[in-house]
Amino acid sequence: MVLGLFFAVLAGSLVSLQNIFNSKVNEHAGSWQTTTLVLGMGFLASLIAGLFFEGSQLFRLQNMQSWFWFSGMIGVGVVACLVQGIRLLGPTYAISIVLTSQLGFALFADSLGLFGLDKVPFSFQQLMGVVIIVGGILVFKLGGSTVFKRSANPLPEQKWERSS
Amino acid sequence: MKGWIFAFLGGTLITLQGVANTRISEAIGTWQAATITQMTGFITALVILLFVRGGNLKGLKQVKPLYLTGGALAAVIIYSNVTAIRLTGVTLAISILLIAQLSLTFLIDGKGWFGVVRKRMRLPQFIGLAMMIAGVLILRF
Repeated sequence: MVLGLFFAVLAGSLVSLQNIFNSKVNEHAGSWQTTTLVLGMGFLASLIAGLFFEGSQLFRLQNMQSWFWFSGMIGVGVVACLVQGIRLLGPTYAISIVLTSQLGFALFADSLGLFGLDKVPFSFQQLMGVVIIVGGILVFKLGGSTVFKRSANPLPEQKWERSS
Repeated sequence: MKGWIFAFLGGTLITLQGVANTRISEAIGTWQAATITQMTGFITALVILLFVRGGNLKGLKQVKPLYLTGGALAAVIIYSNVTAIRLTGVTLAISILLIAQLSLTFLIDGKGWFGVVRKRMRLPQFIGLAMMIAGVLILRF
């Protein structure tokens, strides 16, 4: 349990850092260049870490199923959706919705035991927890206190900008 | 309305990705899952890039090398995300992840680290984080 929390905190902190670094790249490059670079770096890092921890075992893919080869495309879908969402709504509103649906879908996935994960039965308590967290996200993002510099010429395609 | 749909779908896909990675990890191993999904994602993005041909590569030279390697963090992110989901379930893992993510961004924005535009954080951000933590406590206990 504690270990799980530790990894969740680690993941969230690194997502925050990555968003900031990616937005720096995106200031000088287009969204798809940024995305290609980010995924390429992720691939190299995963490959190196995998070789380090597993050696040649990394390439033994016994229980491989064909859909595994396509799941990486989900990440590309994420980028496409965020770019369009932010373009149409602006970063603050778009990201508020993104974070909310992230959590809503998590509750859905747990309740159904999606992909054969251990089912976490849906309960009123679970729903209450999620509703309060979503409320917190909305207060945080839409509380309107961040001194949001509205420059005369905002950066085009602010995909990574403020995505956390 | 269209913007709402894209944003909603984007968030759903982020969680779906975590769940799919967890499923794939159980079948072939976590590093294998991270490597394969990043590789196929990279190839897909590259193909799209070749079609849209947006921007130029010169721009990348103006970016600090540290920022260019940000994508490498994905290896640890995927590993941690999958491990957290396995150990605590999707809802709790994503809740904690989002709290950590918003808190660190909040801190970095407040301090102006990494050359980000410094933003003053006020009461709503603190209330928002407190509500998120309260929500997690309700989820768990």
